[in-house]
Amino acid sequence: MNNFEWVQPETVADAIAALDHAGAMPLAGGVDLLDRLKEHLEAPSRLVSVRKLAGLGEIAVDPTGAKLGANVTLARLAADPALRRSHPMIGDAASHAATPQLRAMATLGGNLAQRPRCWYFRSEAFACRKKGGTTCFAQDGDSELHAIFGNQLCAATHPSTIVTALLALGARVSIAGKRAREVELASFFVAPETDLAREIDLAPGELITHVTVPVMAANLRTAYTKQVAKQSFDWPLVDVAVALAMDGRTCRQATIVLGAVAPTPRRATEAERALAGVTLDVMAAERAAHAAIAGATPLAGNAHKVPILEAVVARTILAALAGTNGSQP
Amino acid sequence: MAHDDDDHDVPAPNLPGLSRRAFLGGTAGGAAATGLFTLSSKARASATSPRVSGPGAVPITLDVNGAKRTVKVEPRVTLVRALREELGLTGTKVGCDRGACGACTVHLDGEPALACTTLAIDVGGRKVTTIEGLARGTTLHPIQQAFIAEDATQCGYCTPGMVMSCVALLAENPRPDGSAIRGAVAGNLCRCGTYPKVFNAVAIASGQKPDGGTLETRGTGNAAAPPPGTAWVGIAGGAVTAEPRTVPDSEAKPWPMNGGLAVVGKPTARLDGRAKVTGAARYTTDVALPGMLHARRVVSPHAHAVVKRVDTRKAEKLAGVRAVFVVKKQEGATLVDPSTEQNGTFPRIRYAGQCVAAVAATTPDIAEAAARLVEVDYEVLPAATTLDGAMQPSAPLVYPGPVNLGGSAGGGGAASGLAQHGNVRGPTQQNEGNVEAALAASVHKVSGTFRTQVQTHSPMEPHGIVADWKPDKLTVHVSTQGTATVRDELATVFDLPRTKVFVQCEFMGGGFGAKFGAGHFGVVAAELSRRAKAPVRLILDRREQHAAVGNRPSTLQQLTLGAARDGQLAAIDLVAHGTSGIATGAGVGWAAAKLYPAPAVRTRQFDVFTHAGPGAAFRAPGMPQGMFALDQLIDELAERTGTDPLELRDRLDRDAPGGTATQPDRVARKLERRIGADKIGWARRGKPGAAKGPIKTGIGVGTSLWRRIVDMDSACEVRIARDGSVQLRSSVMDIGTGTRTALAMVLAEDLGLSPEQIDVQIGDTRWPIGPASGGSKTLVGITPAVRQAAHEARTKLLAAVARKLGVAASELRVVPGRIEAIGDPGKGLPWKQACAAIATDEIAVIASRPSDWQGPSANGYGGVQFAEVEVDTQTGVIRVRKVVAVQECGRLINPLAVQSQINGGILHGISWALFEDRRLDEATGRMLNANLDQYKVLGAKDTPVIDVVLLDQYVGLTNTDAHGIGEPANVATAAAVANAVYNAIGVRVRELPMTPRAVLAALRKGNRS
Repeated sequence: MNNFEWVQPETVADAIAALDHAGAMPLAGGVDLLDRLKEHLEAPSRLVSVRKLAGLGEIAVDPTGAKLGANVTLARLAADPALRRSHPMIGDAASHAATPQLRAMATLGGNLAQRPRCWYFRSEAFACRKKGGTTCFAQDGDSELHAIFGNQLCAATHPSTIVTALLALGARVSIAGKRAREVELASFFVAPETDLAREIDLAPGELITHVTVPVMAANLRTAYTKQVAKQSFDWPLVDVAVALAMDGRTCRQATIVLGAVAPTPRRATEAERALAGVTLDVMAAERAAHAAIAGATPLAGNAHKVPILEAVVARTILAALAGTNGSQP
Repeated sequence: MAHDDDDHDVPAPNLPGLSRRAFLGGTAGGAAATGLFTLSSKARASATSPRVSGPGAVPITLDVNGAKRTVKVEPRVTLVRALREELGLTGTKVGCDRGACGACTVHLDGEPALACTTLAIDVGGRKVTTIEGLARGTTLHPIQQAFIAEDATQCGYCTPGMVMSCVALLAENPRPDGSAIRGAVAGNLCRCGTYPKVFNAVAIASGQKPDGGTLETRGTGNAAAPPPGTAWVGIAGGAVTAEPRTVPDSEAKPWPMNGGLAVVGKPTARLDGRAKVTGAARYTTDVALPGMLHARRVVSPHAHAVVKRVDTRKAEKLAGVRAVFVVKKQEGATLVDPSTEQNGTFPRIRYAGQCVAAVAATTPDIAEAAARLVEVDYEVLPAATTLDGAMQPSAPLVYPGPVNLGGSAGGGGAASGLAQHGNVRGPTQQNEGNVEAALAASVHKVSGTFRTQVQTHSPMEPHGIVADWKPDKLTVHVSTQGTATVRDELATVFDLPRTKVFVQCEFMGGGFGAKFGAGHFGVVAAELSRRAKAPVRLILDRREQHAAVGNRPSTLQQLTLGAARDGQLAAIDLVAHGTSGIATGAGVGWAAAKLYPAPAVRTRQFDVFTHAGPGAAFRAPGMPQGMFALDQLIDELAERTGTDPLELRDRLDRDAPGGTATQPDRVARKLERRIGADKIGWARRGKPGAAKGPIKTGIGVGTSLWRRIVDMDSACEVRIARDGSVQLRSSVMDIGTGTRTALAMVLAEDLGLSPEQIDVQIGDTRWPIGPASGGSKTLVGITPAVRQAAHEARTKLLAAVARKLGVAASELRVVPGRIEAIGDPGKGLPWKQACAAIATDEIAVIASRPSDWQGPSANGYGGVQFAEVEVDTQTGVIRVRKVVAVQECGRLINPLAVQSQINGGILHGISWALFEDRRLDEATGRMLNANLDQYKVLGAKDTPVIDVVLLDQYVGLTNTDAHGIGEPANVATAAAVANAVYNAIGVRVRELPMTPRAVLAALRKGNRS
């Protein structure tokens, strides 16, 4: 790693001030950032510790919804009893992420801000488009892990699995800094066509402070599936989050989010439309799943993700219907 | 802001040039100009601005294991580095340094955390607990105790992290179920395969029943000593006869079967268990010598290049750099005609990751910075990076002409002088009978093309060395499987007498075939030490580990079997290609040629050079690859002939076609097939692909075959001192196999002692040279030497006691704890008093391994494995639910250690079958997944239940009849899984790894038999 200064502020305001410095980056759990420093992908001159900032470490559940501090660890998201009752899908997604050690260290904010795991991006030796070069090496190279949608400019996928679940619940994200704001989490992700150099709409000197999810309607059924090839610690082949607003056996409205298949988390709008107003059964789920893969543009190495995605979407819809929460044992 | 930087001289290249004095004396305008602090009307600055520390070293206080410790470190120093290097707490290990393997697991306020991914300065007031802090005085934590009792350690490198994860689990969940246990260690990789016993240890420690798998030993035989002039031959519990054997008078005599022994054959906890579970065991990465420097290599990012210029001046000028070395000698094979390649000053680069230069500096960070300052100009050339591509006549050539490759220390390799056309070298061949005619005349022909991938060894402890070059001797600490192999190579390379080269390795963290000889990096470290006149530590990082120090070569096999109507083999025809990168040795073993006899056999095996890292022997080189193909075709043949797959194997597994089975391994396998079939529930098998629903289960069988290799360079010393203490010394290594304990057991047996009473000193070339640990030949080699030394030492001891007691020595014998007269037990002495009778200070005997006794050849051994799998036909995901392994390995010395080896071999086999794949970028030849999360190593939640049944087999060839098991444990597994997959889904997967992509492709193509 390169050498850097270290600042440990106690308030968000102090953190913002400390971040307002050329070459400064925030460090939360360090799970992703330290990896990137060790691989010489980034070389900040200053790290600003945000892990212990006041007010960012709480989970608050009340009748309007849940407010999750950016410093809450994945382990706490997985274990919090109130959150498990109010929004089970979040804890479900969190409990399947990474490993026990990483879950104890990784924060919600860091998880949102983590950068792609594309092996060309992660290697100093490849000056890919995302790093200012002219080539996406995955296009003609080894694309097994890569995107099957929206992959023309850059084929890296956003690696967060928590995000898939949060998006299906209509989450919003709060950002502190010069341009303090609260926006829909869905708008927080940046497509390669908009800006190759970053994955989230967070400028230097800004800080994620909270994610809020509205209270789940009584008729909302949710399920989350992280599909892996290897059971112990594997990046997802695909992950899917489904939220169904049900009226008896009829689906009034569906929210289906697809992860690990595109540079940003993807709403399966065609699949959602296929379910709207429909009596849900196996055939309906399969029809919706088939709609979810329409328009997929797989690369030479990742065509297998398409049928896998289709299968997982169908299963997750049915799991939401059955109230079995999806995911894997 | 207050600035806290004690060290003005530390280079801080990323900061604007601003001195402390200038800042403190600066005005508001000056502060704003540096951008350090922005005033905003909206900002609510706190009363005291936060302190800025670094970038130079600053003092921080850590609460470690209940004590306040202060270290002075730069902000970039990770907690694992602070613990290990600053505080000397080396129990916490570095496996990958990227948060993927769990070897560095510690607790922060009782929660599991990865010390490699935590900055020391970020720990703050959180309480740090390391492995060294678990015990209360000498009382170990219940988890540590359970790990020892349940034999949940092998090489021990992953153990501290594993224990820490288990302790954290129990603190939070005192009675975790099986799923919770597996989940708790899902982030702790173990390459040796301890997972099943880790699960058992946690279950037992929490007062529950273990569920990792069972161990059964079928028969230990009766207690009788074999009649004089004979040795027992047969499988204990079955037909065992006393066969005539001639044993010289001076040599140790045949033992009874294990039923008649006191120590050998009994499940015994490892002597080094405590050292491993407490973090006290010292590995090469833990060795710190005074004045030690840290080295770092400069490696080529290009797969094929000519090096035009290497400029080390900037590196040399960096403060703290003490030596720089530029590689001038070629790595890899030697050209038969060197004039065919013009390279200039520097050797040709032939793989990405090849070493160009190296530096040694006072800290690892300075070494890394210096390495990055070395300037190298490459003329990049086209590279052949795939097996198929390299085979094309138009492919870029790895070598411009024929090459020979002197053994890559540890095997692999191919014969010299073979034909070479382009990148294709070979064949190594055999030809018996007329294969073409026999195939043409065959009623049945089954044929298939099989592919297997490159697998990297990925031991949890990377390759590493501490080299200490002194004017009068070279001492190295090195992670190795063979201390003498390192000594010999360094002596040769540096033209030193062997007596001036000393190699030590007390504990090593896994090798699997990749850790023989000094390695190129070892030579580099020694050279840096020579130049710097200081010890130099060079530890490869995980990226280097994957690329440069060995792998299991890939294969592309075309195998055809011709058979008669009843399945009797008429012809076997094999053509195999594979790439070992720049090295040779990409074979598929001898399974096809030797397992089932046939009148006509033709095998042709070729090496294909690619611009990739050199292969090295990897746990049964070639055999798992060959068996993956052979065992699937045998199953196809069974289906074709309407025969049960086990029955067909019984029919084929004969000494000669259509004959009887008398060879010990064939006799054993027949029994093993029956035992295993019964245990797995073979009768439950459905028709291939018949199950309803998308998740289908299946059962399959695989066969294991390995050679009995005898290494006569097997010697040891036994010392019995006047106070009764006993020491055994040999240069032999314990690579996680339990050799240390096995040696103690063998010696203890012959001296009437318990293993704990033996002080075993191994891993040091000052001691008599023992066999390198490879080829599963360690116990075959060394245990007879131990018995021989015991025999001679005991003879001297009995002579001394005889004088004391006034009887003839021939009237005395050793029984547990005593020396006493045969037939008059009252006339004797307890051990300590017996030893007090020794005339000199001690009895010291050095003995070499006696030759094998004359008897029928028992050249092969192995076993049979059954796998039960579940295949999700919509996602292509395979899960192995259960494996039953029935194996023989001669006389069982320690069944617990044998079980661990079999667990490990099976888990290696599954990991290779389903997950691992070294991915090279086709265009550049760089390894894309040079880590431990995208290079997928099997973890806890992928571990099946493993039931092991052991046969105790006596062949009457040595005074112990012990065989190895490390490799036979690995040969059958992928074949068993593949056959089980076919049984589940009705299509064959003929390529490895059997990833979702491969399974879905096979289902789409409908690869029927």
